[in-house]
Amino acid sequence: MARGRTLALAWLVAVALLLGHNGYLWLVKRIVPDTDIMALLPVQERDPILQRSFAHMVDAAQQRVIVLVGAADWEDAKRAGDAYSAVLAKHPGLFDAASAGDGVQAEWLSLFQQHRLVLMTPAQQEQLQKEGAAFWTQQALAKLYAPFGGPKLGAWQDDPFGLFSGWVQDRAQETPVRPRDGHLFVADDEKQYVLLPLKLKVPALSMTAQGQVLPVLEEAVAAARQAAPQARVIQAGVVLHAANAGSQASREMHTIGAGSVAGIILLTWLVFRTLKPIALILTSIGVGVLGALSVCWLLFGQIHLMTLVFGASLVGVAQDYGIYFLCNRLSADASLDSRALLKKLLPGLALTLLAAVIGYMGLAFTPFPGLRQMAVFSALGLIFAWLTVICWFPQLIGPRSLKGGSLVHRYGAALAHWPLLRANAGTWIAVAVFGVAAAFGIAKLGANDDIRLLQNPPKHLVDDQIKLGKLLDAPTPVQFFLVRGDSAETVLQREEALKSRLDGLIAAGQLSGYQAVSNWVPSARTQQERRALVDLKLLGHEGPLAAVAQQAGEDAAWVKATADALRAAGTPLGIDAFMAAPASEPWRHLWLGKEHGEFASIVALRGLSMAAVPQVRPLADGLAGVQWVDKVAEISSVLGRYRVNMGFVVLAAYCVVFVLLLPRYRGRAWRVIAPTALASVATLAILGYAGQNLQLFHVLALMLLLGVGVDYGIFMQEESVKSAGRKDATPWLAVGLSAANTLLAFGLLGLSNTPALQAFGLTMLLGTLLVWLAVPCFGVSTNIKEKANADAIGIS
Amino acid sequence: MKTMMMIAALALSAAGAQAAVPVAKIQAMLAKPKVMCGRFDQSKTLAGMKKPLAANGRFCVVQEKGVLWRTLQPFPNTLRLTKGEIVHYQGERVAMRLDAKTEPTVRMINQVLFSLLAGDLAQLEQLFRVDGTVGADSWNVTLEAREPALAKAIGTIKLDGGAYVNNIVISEASGDRTSIVFSKIEAGDKAMTADEAALFR
Repeated sequence: MARGRTLALAWLVAVALLLGHNGYLWLVKRIVPDTDIMALLPVQERDPILQRSFAHMVDAAQQRVIVLVGAADWEDAKRAGDAYSAVLAKHPGLFDAASAGDGVQAEWLSLFQQHRLVLMTPAQQEQLQKEGAAFWTQQALAKLYAPFGGPKLGAWQDDPFGLFSGWVQDRAQETPVRPRDGHLFVADDEKQYVLLPLKLKVPALSMTAQGQVLPVLEEAVAAARQAAPQARVIQAGVVLHAANAGSQASREMHTIGAGSVAGIILLTWLVFRTLKPIALILTSIGVGVLGALSVCWLLFGQIHLMTLVFGASLVGVAQDYGIYFLCNRLSADASLDSRALLKKLLPGLALTLLAAVIGYMGLAFTPFPGLRQMAVFSALGLIFAWLTVICWFPQLIGPRSLKGGSLVHRYGAALAHWPLLRANAGTWIAVAVFGVAAAFGIAKLGANDDIRLLQNPPKHLVDDQIKLGKLLDAPTPVQFFLVRGDSAETVLQREEALKSRLDGLIAAGQLSGYQAVSNWVPSARTQQERRALVDLKLLGHEGPLAAVAQQAGEDAAWVKATADALRAAGTPLGIDAFMAAPASEPWRHLWLGKEHGEFASIVALRGLSMAAVPQVRPLADGLAGVQWVDKVAEISSVLGRYRVNMGFVVLAAYCVVFVLLLPRYRGRAWRVIAPTALASVATLAILGYAGQNLQLFHVLALMLLLGVGVDYGIFMQEESVKSAGRKDATPWLAVGLSAANTLLAFGLLGLSNTPALQAFGLTMLLGTLLVWLAVPCFGVSTNIKEKANADAIGIS
Repeated sequence: MKTMMMIAALALSAAGAQAAVPVAKIQAMLAKPKVMCGRFDQSKTLAGMKKPLAANGRFCVVQEKGVLWRTLQPFPNTLRLTKGEIVHYQGERVAMRLDAKTEPTVRMINQVLFSLLAGDLAQLEQLFRVDGTVGADSWNVTLEAREPALAKAIGTIKLDGGAYVNNIVISEASGDRTSIVFSKIEAGDKAMTADEAALFR
């Protein structure tokens, strides 16, 4: 008795500490859960340059918000765009708005103008090789006599053959965006848009920042619509997706948490007809969650929102211990005090906790930091809830404090109607039929490991993203070519080799273009080739320049002076000069520079459709130092690998749990595990018949189902350890109450909008239901006096 | 062409700018027919060249359609600006084609050129500061780009005329200078020859 009190007091101190720590975390430190979906993804030991290339692309993209404000009429678009900008200008701490820059064009041209002789398009270079002098003479003369100065930049004599202006035009094609009236302009067939490129000054993935940024953006949209009622505003940015995922997850967490708590309260009331057990069970769950939070924070230094969402569903499992104890208290003889009762129940309770923790620890075998955290959180939550039951319940619940309601009678009586499996012909036929049906269902299961299942952004966000991609023809940041070499020159040469292959795909309409540093800075080798070509084909003694001079009435001295001036503009353009110039700002993320003794760069693709990927990928084959990087495919393949691996982990866990059960249940250990195993197989078969594709999260749910299902098996078999047969309906009641609550919790998870969570919830829902239904069939057969028992429960 | 592109691209809107010259009066003086064609004589003085280079040919301005600029001497070559594209023919060969779909500024260039040839000062005022004098039946103006970087690149444009634009002089910052004289202007459907009309189909 005294020992029980000491234990209870010790636990009270521990819980007080937990409460204090939680209060400190939430109220003093004001912690916010991490919402970065990428944190849930595997961190792999891999190629550091590859890793960095991706970081380069993503970092460049992550803090950006791109806004298009459009209307059929340019004046309307400008007015709406200005109204939008005006709202943002009131919050200089949040946004950096890039201006459309006065004189930007003149400035960026100046660097290239100094090296114009070596700047031409590959097509022009080919023309230089192929075409004869007559062609070039004609080109120069046409420009000479063209109206309005012709297509040229600067004086005619600076670019007599139009090579440099051709290159500038080609560069201008890299983006459909143009400066216009001091705004950036882009248009499609219906509308003209003002483009507002924004950079966030606050981290896009922080929830606090999202809370500040989103209302301002909404206000800006409203202002734009007020300025021009028919204006269309398109916004895209990581911050919008992150904010949406965050609010969706917290909404779901509240729903699932609140729903399952409400369900537990209702069910407990119906069974025990008093509020005390409800308070007790909620206390055990509460301590579980707070304890898990505290320890997780100490272990990880942060907590992910998805962990909390998943943790909310844990409520359905943490209650099992309390329910088991309470149901047994309800039916136990009044002469038995609660400490003695606990002693009697302890072996079974210890086993259920162990099995569940093993189940959850299976999740820790995944490479996903997020999942590992969920596993630790869940296991800790269960341990804390379990300890609360062990330390406090016997002190708080005495004999004769509980009465069963009429629901208990009816439910207990139902047990009698359950078939008991015996080793007879009927059983074997049922097993055969089940086996065939399950095999067919499972054979129908497809697999889908697409990363996009982890997130389900709302349609309007996706539509805006697609529309924006079409309008701006921007490259995707998750699929690109990575080019490396031992020097900057090697990298540039390899880029050029790759680009000549890509040109074929552009001609075939598979791609709309590419972005690469070598578009701006040709390799030294290419620059040298071009200088030689221009010298040979254009500036020579009897060449086109001389022919033009003759037509214009100029002499040999003029030819020499003009040619010399052109040659002076043929000095090599180096990568360093380019990177230092303001002109390189939009392209700097493509150059990784020197890292781990290697130079590397990115060639990004524009207008790449999923359908074209199979044609694009092999272009890297046979090109030294060039590799195709596809983050989407890569993560999806990791998910797939772990789906398979987790399948084996589940099987291994079954074996471990079985071995764990052997010492206590001996020949009956299989009866504990069989209902869960059968339910898992049946669930897979049902998913197969329903045409679902298997993903990692289905398998993770099966892992959890093992933890839950074994609880029920143990409850039912515990009774038969003590006395053979269905003498007592108490475990059946505990199983029913637990299962109903679990169904509530996971059923609600099945309503989640995130496909991954939904898969998880649905699997748990089906599995738990089937275990519940199957568990009584595996009892040990004897004569049953269920009627007497049911009466005993109800009227005690 | 590129210069024009920059005119169009870097222009600033002139909200509430006060015209130094009664543009409305000039507008009233201009004939603005649906179709007009005529002869042009162009003389270019280029930086680093001693002699001016002369060229001549025919031009057509068709409302709602675009502009045709046919150099006949010393070499035939044709520039056609329509809503969807700018095409440059050397003889029969297409030397350059700018598509409005891939080059968004095409629409704007066309607008500016059309306004220049048609003398539509109201349009031009958005991009240029207009300065000049108006007489009883003649006028002359100087256009200076409102955008400083652009003004530096293209310098100034001078226009003079009466019912039609008579002369255009473009003085570029690079030192190249182009002067164009218009004559024999005819208006109406008969102004265009059959092959000119065919180019607009």
